[in-house]
Amino acid sequence: MNNDILLEIKNLHASVGEKEILKGVNLTLRRGEVHAVMGPNGAGKSTLGAVLAGRPDLTVTDGSVRYAGQDLLALSPEERSWAGLFLSFQYPVEIPGVSITNFMKAAISARRKAQGLPELTPGEFLKLLKEKMAFVQMKNEFAKREVNVGFSGGEKKRNEIFQMAMLEPTLSILDETDSGLDVDALRIVAEGVNRLRTPETAAIVITHYQRLLEYIVPDVVHVLKDGRIVETGGRELVERIEREGYESIHE
Amino acid sequence: MNNEVYVIGRDSAPQYLRLEAGEERMLTLVVPPGAGGRLVMEVDLVGPGASLDLAGLYLCPADERLDLRLLVRHTSGGCLSRQLFKGLVGGTARASFDGLVYVAQDAQKTQAFQENHTILLSDTAKVESRPQLEIYADDVQCSHGATTGYLNPEELYYLRSRGIPEAEARRLQMVAFLAPVLRRLPESLIEEIHACLS
Repeated sequence: MNNDILLEIKNLHASVGEKEILKGVNLTLRRGEVHAVMGPNGAGKSTLGAVLAGRPDLTVTDGSVRYAGQDLLALSPEERSWAGLFLSFQYPVEIPGVSITNFMKAAISARRKAQGLPELTPGEFLKLLKEKMAFVQMKNEFAKREVNVGFSGGEKKRNEIFQMAMLEPTLSILDETDSGLDVDALRIVAEGVNRLRTPETAAIVITHYQRLLEYIVPDVVHVLKDGRIVETGGRELVERIEREGYESIHE
Repeated sequence: MNNEVYVIGRDSAPQYLRLEAGEERMLTLVVPPGAGGRLVMEVDLVGPGASLDLAGLYLCPADERLDLRLLVRHTSGGCLSRQLFKGLVGGTARASFDGLVYVAQDAQKTQAFQENHTILLSDTAKVESRPQLEIYADDVQCSHGATTGYLNPEELYYLRSRGIPEAEARRLQMVAFLAPVLRRLPESLIEEIHACLS
């Protein structure tokens, strides 16, 4: 295992409008690790994922985030993606009129351009697309569908993992990827994530429940409450939360 | 059906159409950037089974003044008219859309649909949309709708989070918005319009 620090969050404060959501988050993630961020509703879990991805309507008021030696907060959302960061959205956005194929073609070609790589030929792109669709067990017609339009909850989440597989991120952030999934979809999603694990990459799994963590086993578990990480531990923390609830965990 | 495509400022689009019984016309109007001006079209559906399928897109990204006036009259029963107009208005451009669908008293079993949707690309662009229905028959199926809005910021963020640069993401959104009209156009014209959007 490569022990390099991939992500270092220090005293991160972030607001939506006037309301402060993150109130001093500290988190260090090394390559090869999977961290779970758990916590009750409204704790700021999704905000943490969104700040890392660069959601424009969030304001960072204090603190810093270093990612792979760079100041992450200085990068635009697209630059963060090029640098290998990927957020699986809790609520994937519908984009009527844009097919999965065109969406991914634009994403892959922009990324390769940013990395100074030549464009994929149409044949190479198609091969990649088919391979990754098979990875999340999507049928061929999936490529022609409009992004997330008329997708079931499970299809939306599988689409997120499909995009993740296409983009091969260094840091994956899964925001409540388990919500609204039946067991089969959950298994497909978890298998997808597990197969993308390498000693070079890392993941943050944001979840309210322990269910997903039975499939994606974390190395470190953080509990986020009211905008702060109040406890950090190993897997045993998941069982404790399951047994005693979030109320039992105090700063 | 033969789709007649007219690029305003380049082709002369008909200003008046009279559709006899069973006659079907499909027309697509394209108002390219810089064209603007007043554009008038009147259509009479005078015999049963006549059908009009009219669509258009207007691109006014700079300081254009576009005045679109459409009048579709159903004077015979049992006819169908469909209208779909979509536009992008930016800079300090102004676009107005006046669309009247008139259904005469004895034009029973009329089907008439009209839609006009505009996306504003700047805070200084303006659009006025006035779709109107004037119906004197009682056994008809008619609808109209108009929307004016901005490019969806959630979509934009989602596209950018996948590594699509902001300008390219906006272009994708614009193409998607125009898609129902774009797919009626020949490939060369679609490419020309794509080039205008970047």
